Amino acid sequence: MDLALEILPQVLVDGLVLGFMYALIALGYTMVYGVLEFINFAHSEIFVLGAFVGVEILLMLQSAGLLAAVHPAAVLLLIILAAMVISGLAAMALERVAYRPLHGSPRLVALISAIGASFLLQDGLRLFESLWRNTFYLNYPTLELLDRTMPLAANVVVPVKSILVVVTALVMLWGLNLFVNHTRIGAAIRAVAQDPDTASLMGVPVNRVIATTFFVGGAMGGLAGVLFGLHYSLVNPYSGFFPGLKAFTAAVLGGIGNIPGAMLGGMVLGMLEALAASYLSLATDGAFGAEYKDVFAFAVLILILIFRPKGLLGEKVREDRA
Amino acid sequence: MALLELRGVSKRFGGLQALARVDIELEDGVIASLIGPNGAGKTTLFNTLTGLYQPDEGEIRFQNRSLIGLKPEQITGAGISRTFQNIRLFSHMTVLDNVLVGMHSRLDTKLWQIFLSTQKYQAREKAAQRRAIELIELAGLSGRENEWAHQLSYGEQRRLEIARALAAAPKLLLLDEPSAGMNTSEAQSLMALFKELIGRYVQAILLIEHNMRVVMGISDRVHVLDYGEKIAEGHPDEVRQDPRVIEAYLGQGVWTARRP
Amino acid sequence: MTRSLAPIGLLGYIFGSFLLAILYPQSVLAFLLFEASLLLLYYIPAHAKVKSTLAALVLIVLMPLLGTINGYYLEVAIQIGIYAALALGLNIVVGFVGLLNLGFVAFYAIGAYLWAIFGSPQANEFIAGGVFPLAPYWFFIFLLLSIGVGALTGLVLGLPVLRLRGDYLAVVTLGFAEVVRALVNNLDKPVNLTNGPRGISPIVKPPLFFRPVLEFFGLEITDAKLYPLYFYFLVLLVVCVIILVTRRLESSRIGRAWKAIREDEIAAAAMGVPVVRMKLLGFAVGASFASAVGVLFAAKQVFINPESFTFMESIGVLAMVILGGMGSIPGAILGATGVTILNLQLLKGLSLWLNGLRQSGAVLTLPLLGSYSLSQIPVQFEPAKYERMVFGLILILMMIFRPQGILPPKQERKR
Repeated sequence: MDLALEILPQVLVDGLVLGFMYALIALGYTMVYGVLEFINFAHSEIFVLGAFVGVEILLMLQSAGLLAAVHPAAVLLLIILAAMVISGLAAMALERVAYRPLHGSPRLVALISAIGASFLLQDGLRLFESLWRNTFYLNYPTLELLDRTMPLAANVVVPVKSILVVVTALVMLWGLNLFVNHTRIGAAIRAVAQDPDTASLMGVPVNRVIATTFFVGGAMGGLAGVLFGLHYSLVNPYSGFFPGLKAFTAAVLGGIGNIPGAMLGGMVLGMLEALAASYLSLATDGAFGAEYKDVFAFAVLILILIFRPKGLLGEKVREDRA
Repeated sequence: MALLELRGVSKRFGGLQALARVDIELEDGVIASLIGPNGAGKTTLFNTLTGLYQPDEGEIRFQNRSLIGLKPEQITGAGISRTFQNIRLFSHMTVLDNVLVGMHSRLDTKLWQIFLSTQKYQAREKAAQRRAIELIELAGLSGRENEWAHQLSYGEQRRLEIARALAAAPKLLLLDEPSAGMNTSEAQSLMALFKELIGRYVQAILLIEHNMRVVMGISDRVHVLDYGEKIAEGHPDEVRQDPRVIEAYLGQGVWTARRP
Repeated sequence: MTRSLAPIGLLGYIFGSFLLAILYPQSVLAFLLFEASLLLLYYIPAHAKVKSTLAALVLIVLMPLLGTINGYYLEVAIQIGIYAALALGLNIVVGFVGLLNLGFVAFYAIGAYLWAIFGSPQANEFIAGGVFPLAPYWFFIFLLLSIGVGALTGLVLGLPVLRLRGDYLAVVTLGFAEVVRALVNNLDKPVNLTNGPRGISPIVKPPLFFRPVLEFFGLEITDAKLYPLYFYFLVLLVVCVIILVTRRLESSRIGRAWKAIREDEIAAAAMGVPVVRMKLLGFAVGASFASAVGVLFAAKQVFINPESFTFMESIGVLAMVILGGMGSIPGAILGATGVTILNLQLLKGLSLWLNGLRQSGAVLTLPLLGSYSLSQIPVQFEPAKYERMVFGLILILMMIFRPQGILPPKQERKR
């Protein structure tokens, strides 16, 4: 019991970091589902792409000998912006190439295309890195600033990188909220999510709204990718599979199509996972340990879908007409 | 005793009262029409009757048996089948298979009979196919059995839907705007078909219809819905004179004009 | 006229390509030409009896003959058979009922582990008495048992989730497969059920009950040569049974109900189809096929571990169904053949060829661009490792340009 209490602060910090990461990724799923009613299965690869953009820039700066010379805050700002822009553009390109030609087809057709895109992007990234660096397992170079720790309270020490994740995510979520609720294009996105036909009759350029949605969702995914890389260091083209699935779970948990729901869902899932990873082993006396944390997330998904398929905050998608 | 009896059936969607305490009785051997302006709740009534919606209150009895709480397939099994306003055929199945699906509840072949392809099973399938072809001929689609449903013309698809509904061997047939999109002569032959069905294939027909020529020409009884409420019912000529009906339709010009 | 000429021409083609495959045992092309004879057989105008005789000639006589000369071809044929059986099972779920099951491999894994655990010493870990591995003849009992176990797991998963929207169902089935894999990977403690990531071996093979018959005819064949042929015929038998069952289901009221659900769930219910029950049945039938094939796979491989049952396998089988054409039995077989050959032969061939180039150390000189030493081709670049890219391309391109697949279902003539 003492041990359980002792590790609790650390577990909560881990949960917070995971939760924000899932929340950022979940936004991409939920926004796209809101406007197109389809699961952008390749969103996990957009997330990984962000992680790779970050590590590539860091490695290039390192080999040019600039990494130590430039202020770490500037470096961080650079990689975060670059990853957001590139991931956002990639998501837009994906929509243009693999989804828009299927507009009007049955939903399963678009979903299958998205799965194909996911696989293609994984191996595409692998191919690129294999030819470019002759390896596709990349390590983030260490930034000394991030490895420091900060005392938060008596005997609770928090790594700077965790604080970075939390602060950046908060800023971005706030920005997204402003964007969706207080700009013209944000209003257009909400209009399309409600009823694309009426929106298009009212003069909303639906295709541009969809493209913007992909860009914004992709940028959030890319940001999550960089933060993931900075926090966990090792990335490979297949790193996105589990975070992606869990973020989707988070989106469903919060209520698909619902932006605050995705944030809440991400938080809840991240916390649950961190708690499961630490306490499952304690509770079962070592019989079942952290290796079951993924199983745990899926169990959550299946349970929500059975008992509360509309999520915690209710979904915001169009009703299917009988 | 009535074949179908609705007592105080209500259905509400959020703030919209789609059906308000509707009472309808339908006798054996009758062709009845359900009319009313757009949005009056006619299709909602069909959906409630066939188990797609559950009524919020009220009682539905068919052959003196309650239909409340039954699933759509159980209601079909009990002897009510329908067509849809916006045609819902199985597009990528043949005309023949569309009709055979309608017989699902009348074929009780077991899994092992299918695996072993027993004689009895084969005989039943043959019989089902013969009956399906008979119904296809009745619908005026002879020789089209092996075409895909989506290859048929609009009017043919409407008639195929009727053949499919008949395949379920219903006692009561519900038709949702069967003559929509048909010209006068097509509508005429459809009316002839309905008269042929009564007594031989079904015991009663209830149809939603906007084409007043069809309604007046064929119905034994007419029930009028407006804003979810039944405002009139009776013989077509009585209903035509009813001031409430005229008011509900005022300005719509439906009495003379056909829908496009 | 063509009806009598075509079979003769095809017979000539079959023997021609057969000879080519014997003369050039290394040639992928020759083998492909030989396999293409089955496809031609499908297309030519001929009487059904002629067609089935020719198919039997190819599958029962020529293919095993070719296999005894070149064992690799037999291995490829067995793999194709296994994937064809899986694709046929998934085709029921995706192609007939219209449900996207992304965790199909889970049922395959369940079948494989069922036999692996009891057909090896593994079960001694948790059942006292040391009676394991079971005797070889138990293989057949487990093959039958696995059908029931597969169907049951299909029902258990399907019951809560089949009411969900199609796209949610896809993700839940994917999650289910990952749960199964995680369990298989981690259930080596607290009780060692699956031996975790180390996998299980040796797994007992089916009995050679027909050996006395062979000896009677004076045929002395070593086990090493006999087993591949044995497995080939076993797989062939299983595939044939699956085709037969699928065809009968397809033309029955059950198959019609499945397709009706795929086309329009609400209309299907209104026509008296019990939608949830029929979906469950489709799910269970597909799962039982996969599970039975899993038993076969475990016995053939002798060693299995969780690596064989990843998400990629599920998508690979999906790609086969999509490539061939959803809802089409010949399509599923063609898709399985195409994708397996692509992965096993073409990509591997390309890898070997690149390796050869690398080792040759030749220098490629291009005008203006300078020269490039082939030994510098990055070693990480190995086409055989890019299965995902192949699957991904198949899925996207088919969805955009030909969603009905290469061999879409035909309108059956019946009257």
